[in-house]
Amino acid sequence: MTVDGSAPITELKLDRKDFVSDQEVRWCPGCGDYSILAQVQKVVPTLGIPRENFVFVSGIGCSSRFPYYMNTYGFHSIHGRAPAVATGVKLANPHLSVWVITGDGDGLSIGGNHLIHAIRRNIDINIILFNNRIYGLTKGQYSPTSDFGKKTKSTPYGSIDQPINPLCVAIASEATFVARSIDIDTQHLTMVLERAARHKGISFVEVYQNCNIFNDGAFAHFTDRQFRSDRVLYLEHGKPMTFGKDLQKGIRLNNLNPEVVELGRDYSPEDLLVHDEAGAQPTLAYLLTRMHYPDFPVPMGVFRCVETREYSDLLTEQIEEVSRKEGKGNLDSLLAGDETWVIEEEGAILESVSGRERPGEDEESYHPANNLDAHEEPKCAIRRSVLNDRIGEVRPDPPIIASPADSIQSAIERMARERRGAVCVVENDELVGIFTERDVLMRVALKGLDLEKTPISSVMTSNPITLKADATLAYALNQMAVAGFRHLPLMDGKKAVGMVSVKDVVRYMSENMAG
Amino acid sequence: MSSTTETIEPPAGRKVSLKELDQAVIRFAGDSGDGMQLTGTQFTNTSAAFGNDVSTLPDYPAEIRAPAGSLPGVSGFQINFSSRDIRTPGDLPNVLVAMNPAALKVNLPDLEPGGLLIINEDAFDKGGLEKAGYEVSPLEDGSLSSYRTISIPLTSLTLNAVLQTGLNRKQAQRCKNFFALGVVYWIFDRPLEHTLKWIEAKFGKNAMLLEANRSALMAGYNYADTTEVFTTHYQVRKARLTPGRYRNLTGNEALALGAVAASVHSGRSLFYGSYPITPASEILHELSRYKRFGVKTFQAEDEIAAIAAALGASFAGDLGLTGTSGPGVALKSECIGLAVMTELPLVIINVQRGGPSTGLPTKTEQADLFQAVLGRNGECPVPVLAASSPSDCFWAIIESFRIALRYMTPVFCLSDGYIANGSEPWLIPSDRELPDLTPVYAQDPATFKPYAREEHTLARPWAIPGTPGLEHRIGGIEKHHLTGNVSYDPNNHDLMVRTRAEKVARIAQDIPPTEVLGDSRGGKVLLVGWGGTAGAITSAGEQMRAAGKSVSTVHLRYLNPLPNDLGEIMSRFEKVIVPEINLGQLRLLLRARFLVDVIGLNQVRGKPFTIREIIQKVEPYL
Ligand code: SF4
Repeated sequence: MTVDGSAPITELKLDRKDFVSDQEVRWCPGCGDYSILAQVQKVVPTLGIPRENFVFVSGIGCSSRFPYYMNTYGFHSIHGRAPAVATGVKLANPHLSVWVITGDGDGLSIGGNHLIHAIRRNIDINIILFNNRIYGLTKGQYSPTSDFGKKTKSTPYGSIDQPINPLCVAIASEATFVARSIDIDTQHLTMVLERAARHKGISFVEVYQNCNIFNDGAFAHFTDRQFRSDRVLYLEHGKPMTFGKDLQKGIRLNNLNPEVVELGRDYSPEDLLVHDEAGAQPTLAYLLTRMHYPDFPVPMGVFRCVETREYSDLLTEQIEEVSRKEGKGNLDSLLAGDETWVIEEEGAILESVSGRERPGEDEESYHPANNLDAHEEPKCAIRRSVLNDRIGEVRPDPPIIASPADSIQSAIERMARERRGAVCVVENDELVGIFTERDVLMRVALKGLDLEKTPISSVMTSNPITLKADATLAYALNQMAVAGFRHLPLMDGKKAVGMVSVKDVVRYMSENMAG
Repeated sequence: MSSTTETIEPPAGRKVSLKELDQAVIRFAGDSGDGMQLTGTQFTNTSAAFGNDVSTLPDYPAEIRAPAGSLPGVSGFQINFSSRDIRTPGDLPNVLVAMNPAALKVNLPDLEPGGLLIINEDAFDKGGLEKAGYEVSPLEDGSLSSYRTISIPLTSLTLNAVLQTGLNRKQAQRCKNFFALGVVYWIFDRPLEHTLKWIEAKFGKNAMLLEANRSALMAGYNYADTTEVFTTHYQVRKARLTPGRYRNLTGNEALALGAVAASVHSGRSLFYGSYPITPASEILHELSRYKRFGVKTFQAEDEIAAIAAALGASFAGDLGLTGTSGPGVALKSECIGLAVMTELPLVIINVQRGGPSTGLPTKTEQADLFQAVLGRNGECPVPVLAASSPSDCFWAIIESFRIALRYMTPVFCLSDGYIANGSEPWLIPSDRELPDLTPVYAQDPATFKPYAREEHTLARPWAIPGTPGLEHRIGGIEKHHLTGNVSYDPNNHDLMVRTRAEKVARIAQDIPPTEVLGDSRGGKVLLVGWGGTAGAITSAGEQMRAAGKSVSTVHLRYLNPLPNDLGEIMSRFEKVIVPEINLGQLRLLLRARFLVDVIGLNQVRGKPFTIREIIQKVEPYL
């Protein structure tokens, strides 16, 4: 498997050159961006992902020119929006390896909202934030990560803004992979980038990047080779936190506060904090993000790396799950919806279909359905039976079946013979009407119809109200009481399988009372 | 509302006269907790299934929880149903059902003189009157004497009918909307089956509620049938509609269905990026239920992310769609510019509402036309289409996608609050009647140039990530006219600006000829409209022509580019009048483009035009 889950490409033979585009790189000579570009071009060929499956998305700023220099698919979007664009790319095609290149202004100022939301969704995107603590492209204004008091073009008397800490933001947004590296430490940067690429879920990497034009040496006091070992803490999972030329110093926890200690007389490596990337809580990672030079060495490496459900997977799974449950979508039935009717040539209604409420639809808030307090189980046995028992349990007799063309005479004869109060009129196995003793009284007797010749279809009740086997007695009684019907056909689909009379229901209830 | 009267003998022996009507307009009005939207919907569906042509207008308060009984809490639903072809929810209601004093106060000014007024007298107690600001009960001071007022103790009658089912008082009271519905069903001689079936489907699992709602409905119907209060029954016959299978459809539902249809017929997954906003949210709700069609809905952190993600999805080969209302479009503007620059297919729905700023979120307006046509930095042409009725939203969005895919461009699809929530019967098309939207992708690395253009449409190729050999970079910076690489060359920029404009202009060659309703040879007045005013304008034109006036109408689907034949058509008429729910935005565009002295007919009251308003304002020009 490759990291993105697409088909394994064993014979992929890519190297750095395959990822160098034909565009001339236009950063200032000496800019830290060059190194980051070179390390990315070194890492991506090793991931086993075909070149056409890489997409680099960026916003606006010096760093955001990055995609033009990568010979992959690239989208140089607008200021701050790269995480949102990248989210769309990834959701459209989860097989792609999607990278966001952003800066401190792009990612944390104008695009701060998109950054935190992309992170909390844990979508499988690698966000590389080049932090140079300045606005370079617009020629030197302070950025959200610039130090308090920083003098820049827009803060000639010093900045009065408190800087934001990118890794704190990432951790607070529940990032599942958080790391930091430095442009000039190429080996470390390569390691961090590769781990970010191989992490499934959001990867957030802050790279300290030197802007030699507008903020030269912003990190030099701890990243310069001569003091790096004393002022940088390289994090390694499972190892005690030591630093210094001979690893003679370490970080210990004093209550909830980290402190720097000298190993030897008072402290041994066992006293030190042991780095754990994968803790259940991000507490340790957060604590590390708060360590700043000169009080502490500056931590570099992977602060946190945990696995949880990834967003594009969740979306794909949900689509598959729903398609399995509801069946693949059929456009004709979607367009038809739940309630349709047919207009015939002369404007008559042929048929009307009334469907169930669609799944997932909101009920209107005022409706009693939402205001019903928890049901109390009724204490009276009749009431309980009426509310809970199903009409199927009444076991009504099978209906007398007639066809629409049968004469009224024949129907009345059968009703008399079998001592039944109603007839189901059926055509092609479907119930089309009902004819009852009351119809004999109201529609036949007084009208002087020719009983032999008149078809039953002309006096029956078309499309009668019917019952399903799982209807409650209450429902049936209500139908009978309110609408005044004494007979209701019991249906199985479109087929009448019984004829429920008032008598049947009363009999059932009295039998159950007796028992 | 009347034509013939006859007297029939009902079984009870009571004399009830039956009047036949062409058409009737009913408005149900009550507190937002009274269930007026549901009541209206039931009446609509029953009438549609009965065979009437119907058109509806819901009117609900902006505040979700305005205090009960207060004026801002009034919710209404108007239905026009007819034996003829109709296009609007009707001007003035003939019947008003007022469930409380506030509903009466808000809606009475609209009731036609002599109209039927049905009042829930139980709600006209001291508290109710106070909340509505009545010092004296209008039931007692004679102020309703010019209407046929029937006041019914709706609440107590409902309680009588429903309490036996076991609901408590508060719950039982809430069934009074169905009692009222039962009364109105009797008045208009409607069958109860449809609503009974609906109750059964909705409450099938809850016997108590099922009984309660059914009892309330039946009790209302029987009350009207047996008491002497009502002496007239009205009948509105079936309409002569095109044969076929119908359903009822709101504009927002239609947009969602059309988007799914476009996805199926283009073979691309639909990606809908959106952020909740009135009155467009229902599109998000609808589409989120269509996972079985592979629809991906993304509720983004904001309007900007919603469109940015849709554009990203479109870059990666999905059918990108975003939907919002005017304030959301304002936020999306920068990204629309990016879509113009990167020439990717994307549809932006704007369900317009009252503006500016937050404006009137639940009211309708047509004032975002400039925003759609002009509202971006730089020379930034975007095709703009508008839907003209609830069901037309379906066709409008499919056409929007057709243009987006064929011309590789973002496209605005305009709707408005009126057609978004209004509904009408829709002749359901079959899958086979829909256009094929299958896009063409770049495949061949040997010939691929990211900005090389198709000869006729000037569209650039769509090369989706994952295609070997077509790796390329796009972005918002001006690009070289073939390679797409960053270019600051002055001549290249001039060429690209003109090419983008020309590409959009060419769409006018790819649209049907403009249809003139009335006399296409010319005449006194031509009404030119666009969007959701179609019903009122078209009906006004028909009615004036029926009265012998020389009035024709044109309704525009395409607002950018405007149809090429429109200038010539306008020149055949003495006067061209443009009714719009804004201060003259289309008028300005027509004047600028065709140098025609167009007259405006404008109002911005958060409400659709009535047919009468248009006729009254047009008449002086005849
Ligand atoms: S301005 Fe700074 S960050 Fe930008 S390219 Fe130049 S050196 Fe690099």
